Amino acid sequence: MKQHLLLVLLLVLGVGAFAQRTVSGTVTDGRSGEPLEGVTVLVKGTTSGEFTDSEGKFSFEVPADAASLLVSYLGFRTLEVPITGETLSIVLEEDVISMDEVIITGYGSQIKRELTGNIAKVSGEEIANMPVNSIEQAMQGRAAGVFIETGNGKPGSLTRIRIRGASSVGASNQPLYVIDGVPIVSDPQNDPGDASFNPLADFNFNDVESVEILKDASAAAIYGSRASNGVVLITTKRGSAGVTSFNVNLQGGVSDPTGSREFLNSQEFVDYYEQAAIGGGKYDYRLYPDDWTDEQEAIDFYLGTYWTRRMNRYAGHSDWETGETETDWQQEAFQRGGFRQADVNVSGGNQKTRFYLSGSYSKQQGIIIASDLERVSGRINLDHSVNDKLSFGLTMSLSRVMTNRADDDNQFSTPLQLVALAPITPTRDLDGVLYDRPTTTYYNGLIEAQDALKQLTTYRNLVNTYIQYNIVSGLSIKGELGLDLYTLNDEKYWGRRTLTGLANNGFASSRWSQSFNYNTKAYLNYSKTLSEAHSINAIAGIEFQETQVKATSISAQQFPVDDLKTIFSAATITAGSSTINPYNFLSYFARVNYGYKQRYLLTLSARSDGSSRFGANNRFGFFPAASVGWVLSEESFLDGLDALSFLKLRASYGRTGNAAIGNFEHLGLYGPISYNNQSGLAPTQIPNPDLQWEKSDQLDIGIDFGLFNDRITGELDYYNKNTFDLLLDVPVPSTTGFTTQLQNIGSMNNRGFEVLINSRNLAGDFSWNTSFNFARNINEVTNLGEQDIIDEGSSRYMNVVKVGEPIGVFYGAEYAGVDTETGDAIWYKNTEENGVVDRTVTSDYNEAQFVVLGTPNPDFIGGITNTFSYKGVELSFMFQGVYGNSIHNAAGGFMSCNACWFDNQTRDQLSAWKNVGDVTNVPEARIGWSNGDQSRSSRYLSDGSYLRLKNLSLAYDFPKSVVQRLHMSSLRIYANGVNLLTFTNYDGWDPEVTTDFLGGNINSGVDFYAAPQPRTITAGIKLGL
Amino acid sequence: MNRYISYALVLLALLALSGCAEKLNLQPYQSVSEELALSSDGNVKTVLNGAYDALSDGDLFGGNILRNAELLGGDNEIAWVGTFNGPREIFNKALITTNGEVESAWTESYQTINVANNVIASLEVVVADDKSRVEGEALFIRSLLYFELVRYFAPQYDASTTGAAGVPLVLTPTRGVTDASKVTRATVEQVYTQVINDLTRAEGLLPEENDQYATKSAAAALLARVYLQKGDYASAASAASRVIESGLYELNADYADAFNLDENSGEDIFAIQLTEQDGVNNMNTFFSIPIYGGRDGDIEILTDHLALYDSADARLAFFYEGNGAIRSGKWNNQFGNVSVFRLAEMYLIRAEANQRLGTSTGATPLEDYNEVHTRAGLDAATAVTLEDILLERRLELAHEGFRIHDQKRLKEAVGGRPSTDNKLVFPIPQREINANPNLTQNAGY
Repeated sequence: MKQHLLLVLLLVLGVGAFAQRTVSGTVTDGRSGEPLEGVTVLVKGTTSGEFTDSEGKFSFEVPADAASLLVSYLGFRTLEVPITGETLSIVLEEDVISMDEVIITGYGSQIKRELTGNIAKVSGEEIANMPVNSIEQAMQGRAAGVFIETGNGKPGSLTRIRIRGASSVGASNQPLYVIDGVPIVSDPQNDPGDASFNPLADFNFNDVESVEILKDASAAAIYGSRASNGVVLITTKRGSAGVTSFNVNLQGGVSDPTGSREFLNSQEFVDYYEQAAIGGGKYDYRLYPDDWTDEQEAIDFYLGTYWTRRMNRYAGHSDWETGETETDWQQEAFQRGGFRQADVNVSGGNQKTRFYLSGSYSKQQGIIIASDLERVSGRINLDHSVNDKLSFGLTMSLSRVMTNRADDDNQFSTPLQLVALAPITPTRDLDGVLYDRPTTTYYNGLIEAQDALKQLTTYRNLVNTYIQYNIVSGLSIKGELGLDLYTLNDEKYWGRRTLTGLANNGFASSRWSQSFNYNTKAYLNYSKTLSEAHSINAIAGIEFQETQVKATSISAQQFPVDDLKTIFSAATITAGSSTINPYNFLSYFARVNYGYKQRYLLTLSARSDGSSRFGANNRFGFFPAASVGWVLSEESFLDGLDALSFLKLRASYGRTGNAAIGNFEHLGLYGPISYNNQSGLAPTQIPNPDLQWEKSDQLDIGIDFGLFNDRITGELDYYNKNTFDLLLDVPVPSTTGFTTQLQNIGSMNNRGFEVLINSRNLAGDFSWNTSFNFARNINEVTNLGEQDIIDEGSSRYMNVVKVGEPIGVFYGAEYAGVDTETGDAIWYKNTEENGVVDRTVTSDYNEAQFVVLGTPNPDFIGGITNTFSYKGVELSFMFQGVYGNSIHNAAGGFMSCNACWFDNQTRDQLSAWKNVGDVTNVPEARIGWSNGDQSRSSRYLSDGSYLRLKNLSLAYDFPKSVVQRLHMSSLRIYANGVNLLTFTNYDGWDPEVTTDFLGGNINSGVDFYAAPQPRTITAGIKLGL
Repeated sequence: MNRYISYALVLLALLALSGCAEKLNLQPYQSVSEELALSSDGNVKTVLNGAYDALSDGDLFGGNILRNAELLGGDNEIAWVGTFNGPREIFNKALITTNGEVESAWTESYQTINVANNVIASLEVVVADDKSRVEGEALFIRSLLYFELVRYFAPQYDASTTGAAGVPLVLTPTRGVTDASKVTRATVEQVYTQVINDLTRAEGLLPEENDQYATKSAAAALLARVYLQKGDYASAASAASRVIESGLYELNADYADAFNLDENSGEDIFAIQLTEQDGVNNMNTFFSIPIYGGRDGDIEILTDHLALYDSADARLAFFYEGNGAIRSGKWNNQFGNVSVFRLAEMYLIRAEANQRLGTSTGATPLEDYNEVHTRAGLDAATAVTLEDILLERRLELAHEGFRIHDQKRLKEAVGGRPSTDNKLVFPIPQREINANPNLTQNAGY
């Protein structure tokens, strides 16, 4: 090794022996005019050069034949400066979006100018310091055609990402996440009985250099059978040679819910339930006159049983007739939330060794009682060049997330279900003890918040090491080993007053799950400019991934006191389990990029994937893609168009797959059971040896353009993605003993367009940049095999999959309002005979034919970011919105059912029908009777469009002069707001909603006591030392 | 030297990746293949236990199948006051075709039937000594569910309904999903015939004693119940008599001792076994109150029911007040067994059948009546009428899952509806009709 070092040294010295001259100059910031310190100035094609000093100056000797300098600085566009004289004045422009920007692709990178696929890029800077707890949330609204939704405001909730629409019914629709080259485990690992916990919540996104989202087949097919939903490549920051930079960032703030609902107050509650008791009695008499002597008897019975008796019961120690108690249960569910964060990072190095180190702590206090999330993480990224030929490095991060979780939305114990309790019920009795049933209508969730502990902790260690060797000029081999160790621990304790711990003197469970994923790959990279005209870049490699998830759990009861919460103290162990779940992928991949005169571009790629998840008859899949690009602006016939600085047409076509299904779905299986303390077996799955991945064939046609010297740049794309051989849990006649079977049946289409425009509207002292993205996606289920519809037949939820409709449409009875004569809820019959739809109404819900009532999928999504800056002050705000989707309030049948039962009602129920002739949309209140409370009805469907001021930030960078006096390199103070304003017609808590206990692809846009998003305001300071 | 590093790299990569292809053949850790599960004597017997487990599901004999009979038959004697709409719709006789309770009753029943069918189809690997028992148990489980299915999803058996649509009869295990899986409904008569034939065979195959599992008497007890429902009183009396005369069972001295049991009592002919580790007692969930592990006391007992008892009746004293209403005392053990057949029912079946026929198979109706009547702490009667026997049955077996079936059998009105009202028959679940267009929906839905 030493010999080689010596050789390199000699070479450098040897170069030095040639004729030399001195070049000097200054580098300044094009916007502020301030000198820039630490800018790398290199002679192009060499590693010789230096950094600018505190006055932006440099001076060094260059070979006589040196033609130009490469000037680079983080956050600025790299500039190639011809050596025209001995003193150069160099102005660097901030890197907004440039055609020369480097875009990370799978297993490599490419400059944007030469890209023929569609890749959306979000820079680390854009998302840094967003006071949210996962990277996807920070990216929301920033990438065209990428729909991001956090359906619930509880800390750590799963975020749904749909890149160019949903392409699967039965398999996952989430993209593949690759962090620094390692495909990470991104399936939730927590107890499947609980709402999914976001496995990306442990990732400190302040470490991110950039996120690239591979959207079309050309970009994504290199990831083969896991790329149908797009691929999210996350690249973390690496050190660069130069002055060591040391950054400290602190921020803190508060959070509140984005919205609230209006419920009845005490007086309204008492009066309304009197009305409902009278209505109930009248209705009973109407149906069963023989049971009563007269109507009044029925009314009196109802008033006694369902009003006086119940009001007495619910009022506890207080007097409901005088309105003594006025409990706002909704308020009890919320708390003042908050966000605190501290980040430190150091980076630097020299030409041989570069490093990036970071440490971070953040804590989010939930807006829902008894919920929070705390993250601690550390990272080390190292690169070392032994010499020109050999380099190696590693990225490594370790993080811990600790969170207190509120229960799923469908649990009585979840805080927001408190809204069901009566406003006349005091929270506590006269001894200060929290009331429970029978005083509270249902279990009092405050007991859960006080006496239960649900702490989930995750630990993640993500490592990627590489070694790269340049075999000959242009040809290199790279070997990588990636490790992803994700450990999750779920500790729960329910005290003896809680619902779960009530009958057993306390109940506890403890669960550990560990996923270990290792990934090895080796690939060759060949890159050569053959002549002026031909350039070629090719890779070919092999990759293997093995993942194993091991989980153990135990539960126990009978605890001596509530203060002892770990199972060590339990008298009775009630259950225990351990499981192991493995899967493997073995893959071969290759890609060629070819360019002719930088004008005609071609990319071919292919991957062959084998997986243990597929049936024996179909173990390997092949995923090819091709794309072409034509840079028109290089053509002479466009020379005259000076305004058009760049124009490229591109087209791609290719195939990707989706393998995100269970691990052994192709086998016919028997699973273990136990009965009478004896073990046993029972069938769980019918075999399907033909089972394979889903396939998506995608066409993409796009234009990249730059106007006015790239002041305005943009991308327009049209795509058409056909997914077929869908992995469908096909409902089978349950007389077979099974309810579903996973089959490759059916197809789905997503087509649409995307617009991305970046514009530097104003440059100079006062600058104004705008970034705008907009996307339209049309999703259509085109074939489901023999069936027309997949409807699991729930009476509460109505998302279905139906041929000819987008996935997850709401399918139920069309509500027609109220019969003005009777006060009965009515629906349109909508039965079809000989092509004629019967639009008459019926008060018998069963007579109403279900029809498609709306879709949870937005027609349009978009985001717009405006950034203004003037003399160090920077104001940036981002609006994000969705349009055209509906939301189903599946809790409407409880909270807005004209007092069908004693759940406190939303205030709009006060307009219930009372007298013959009343025209209203709310049927007569009849306690104990169903009158329009059927959940699968358009009564509970609303427009879900919204526009949201997602992020607003105001920052001030102190001028260099001040900063230098403070012996710092930079100083910024800032304020940050998230979800500040929401414009919507939805009258629930928050229009960005999908209740957390309904996972999966079909049920979306469903509200069921889902927690709203937090509205967070923080202030922070960032120091560079 | 760099070159060596690169060679080493390439070698290492190749080494690491060779043999990977074989690694794609993974087998699950938590399940076994169908072939293995049905391959040996021991394995088939574990599958038989799987059938019992499926039978004990909360939607079946873990409680709901009994609860639903009380709710559907509920009039002014009980009230459903819980928040779940599914049971409320059953109680209100206002079922919709997507009712989750109805759907679960159907799907879970057929799931269990398929397990039983797998056992029946794998008898050749069972050792000769146990073959009869294993077959008998599987037939018993299958018959029990077909009987429940036909009672809930089809009209009450009588001369006018024998040709009416019953439920599909699936008698072979499912090995794949084909067009043949889209079965049609057999007639009510066919289902009863299948059940009676199977049970008759099972009674012959099963041993007298079989731990907590199905026995000869369990099959006979079910036969007695089936014959009674069908109105074949002579056969009912004879089957009930076989159970009573087996001498294996006797009434507990105290009525209260028949309930909330961790282990079967002397009068349990067959009961679903629960332990703290597994199983669910949904009768407890819905009839009981939180301090006993129940939900919110979703089902209340009303005074109209209490009025039926003599004030000295021990069964009256068994009710209690909790969470603001009257509760049945039968379901206060969260992990207690769910009894499916008690000896008392056999006495009552035999008494009723004999009374109707004017016979004395096994004993006189008065003797059988008094067995049950005096155990409740009441004085022995000296004469008895059919009405007396029917009332005794109603009180003795109250809130144990008999109500609607007796109302239908006895043509008693239910909450103002005639017993033949369409709304007293469950709809075929919508998901089933969607998955199998060969099924017809019941009248009224």
